[in-house]
Amino acid sequence: MPAKTFKASANEFELLFTQEDIDKADVIRTGEGEFNIIRNGRSVNVKLLESDEAGKKLKAEVDGEFYTIVIKDQLDQTLDSMGFNNVAARHVREIKAPMPGLVLEVSVEVGQEVVEGDRILILEAMKMENSICIHANARIKKVLVQKGQPVDKNQVLVELE
Amino acid sequence: MKKILVANRGEIALRIMRTIRKMGIRSVAVYSEADRHSPHVRYADEAVCLGAPPSGQSYLNGDKIIAVCKELGVDGIHPGYGFLSENADFAQKVQDAGITFIGPSPGAMRIMGSKLAAKDSVKKYNVPMVPGIDSAITDVNLAKQIADKIGYPILIKASAGGGGKGMRVVEAPEFMEESMARAISEATSSFGDGSVFIEKYVTSPRHIEVQIIADNYGNVIHGFERECSIQRRHQKVVEESPSAIITPELRKQIGEAAVMVAKSCNYTSMGTVEFLMDDKLNFYFLEMNTRLQVEHPVTEMITGLDLVEWQIRIARGEKLDIKQEDLHIDGHAIELRVYAEDPFTNFTPSIGTLTRYEKPAGEGVRCDDGYEQGMSIPIYYDPMIAKLIVHAPTRIEAIQKMIKAIRDYKIEGVITTLPFGAFVMEHDAFVSGMFDTHFVKNHYTPEKIKDKQKANAEAAALVALKFWQDQQKILSPVQHRTTSWKRRLAH
Repeated sequence: MPAKTFKASANEFELLFTQEDIDKADVIRTGEGEFNIIRNGRSVNVKLLESDEAGKKLKAEVDGEFYTIVIKDQLDQTLDSMGFNNVAARHVREIKAPMPGLVLEVSVEVGQEVVEGDRILILEAMKMENSICIHANARIKKVLVQKGQPVDKNQVLVELE
Repeated sequence: MKKILVANRGEIALRIMRTIRKMGIRSVAVYSEADRHSPHVRYADEAVCLGAPPSGQSYLNGDKIIAVCKELGVDGIHPGYGFLSENADFAQKVQDAGITFIGPSPGAMRIMGSKLAAKDSVKKYNVPMVPGIDSAITDVNLAKQIADKIGYPILIKASAGGGGKGMRVVEAPEFMEESMARAISEATSSFGDGSVFIEKYVTSPRHIEVQIIADNYGNVIHGFERECSIQRRHQKVVEESPSAIITPELRKQIGEAAVMVAKSCNYTSMGTVEFLMDDKLNFYFLEMNTRLQVEHPVTEMITGLDLVEWQIRIARGEKLDIKQEDLHIDGHAIELRVYAEDPFTNFTPSIGTLTRYEKPAGEGVRCDDGYEQGMSIPIYYDPMIAKLIVHAPTRIEAIQKMIKAIRDYKIEGVITTLPFGAFVMEHDAFVSGMFDTHFVKNHYTPEKIKDKQKANAEAAALVALKFWQDQQKILSPVQHRTTSWKRRLAH
């Protein structure tokens, strides 16, 4: 029988632990919600700040930085594998704004063939002008922004065919 | 002077107003529609809205600012840094309106504001300079010819620039066209003047600058050097004073050169003379910033001077009663600029709302900021949230104090350069003092920060798992509550 595993995400990190990892972890309680763990020789102080009612979503502070931890036990993992919460990988065919800013110039039009390195547009953010270039050869399907328009981070700028 | 208007926003407006209040003078804030909630607006005795958020319609609207001054009976304008601070035409208009401009004369600003005029002015004083051209250009073909002559890599700089805007390093001829176009366009939109000039790009340079204090009676002294070599995108992130590599003899030389530069244009008020220093400790005059510098606090920490107070005292005609020999370096100071930028994706702006914002405090820890918890970072302006400054008896102690202060600085909702600051403080090159302006390119790997964060995330997750399992063992149905309130586990 495979070892019982626990998945936990902490911010952008996806982590996997066995029951043995948890049992063997050298953790002591040092105060109200405060713990010290020695791991791979490093002494780390962890403060648990809050948790949800089920105790599976917690917020921790380490080294002045905050981590939101979501624990997934065997049942959660089984549900995930059955397709719940499962977002199928999509083939992304669009260029998004890497940062919020103002569109200073749109350098392409619909139907245009672009090659790797071509400039799609110029985005001004925090007083800096940034050339947004394409990293592959493609054809412009749709241009969704225009000159002078403010855009948010990750807003779709152009769609590709 | 009874009432001073601060023509700026954010941390610097607040910092200037603190000194104004200390001196028993009334302060007037100006703000854009995006900054109604800013602390500087609430701190001031009076506040006036200038207009819409874009700088051109608010903080750069000099005529409106002068009109506000007349209406409110303001007798002095402090421009801070950026915005109108180095605009000689504005300074002239202020003077013509019978208001004191708290800064240098328009004439000195004009000379030092144009890098070419500055070089011209300094030439006769035997101050060393970097090879380059004598006139500003906008012609790409001409630029290419000049670059070929000087030899790549070259640096394109806006003639009227500052703060890294309109500045591009070009490594090879094929990048010349696009770089020139971007530099000229940035220069035009930021400074209203698209002319640029070209110079040899010194490899392995350090950026060392000297604080100048000059009164209206020909007395010019310097407040020692600031080491500003840790930069990203040609903009400073970490500054310190004194520099780890400058000997007392070299300090005297570079200080005297800086005083010479100031004297060459009859400079008055606070100013900063910037030098490039190569790996053999040769220094070259770069430019003079005719304003209060962002990083002025490190100088204040080691000299004990309030530079803004002196700026105001000089502006109202007081004589400098400190002599060069009265100034001494007390300990070591380091500043970290806390930007709303993502150090994991090449320092791209990361705007958002400060859902949690707690500042570090303690002896020798100073935090100049212009934000509070719950505020959001507007996209219209520079993304700097705060300047974190520490002061300690030695450089090593200052570094340790900075590491602790970074840890105590709690920011959520916006990604900041704080982890980058910790990376710098812990890096061997920084600790040893052997680094140059290519620190980021040569030494910075976001993966190192990520590895540490991942180890911390694993530690936190294990603690959380253990805690969760322990809770499950002791939980009985009686204790089950159906409230959706979060449980606080610690304070």
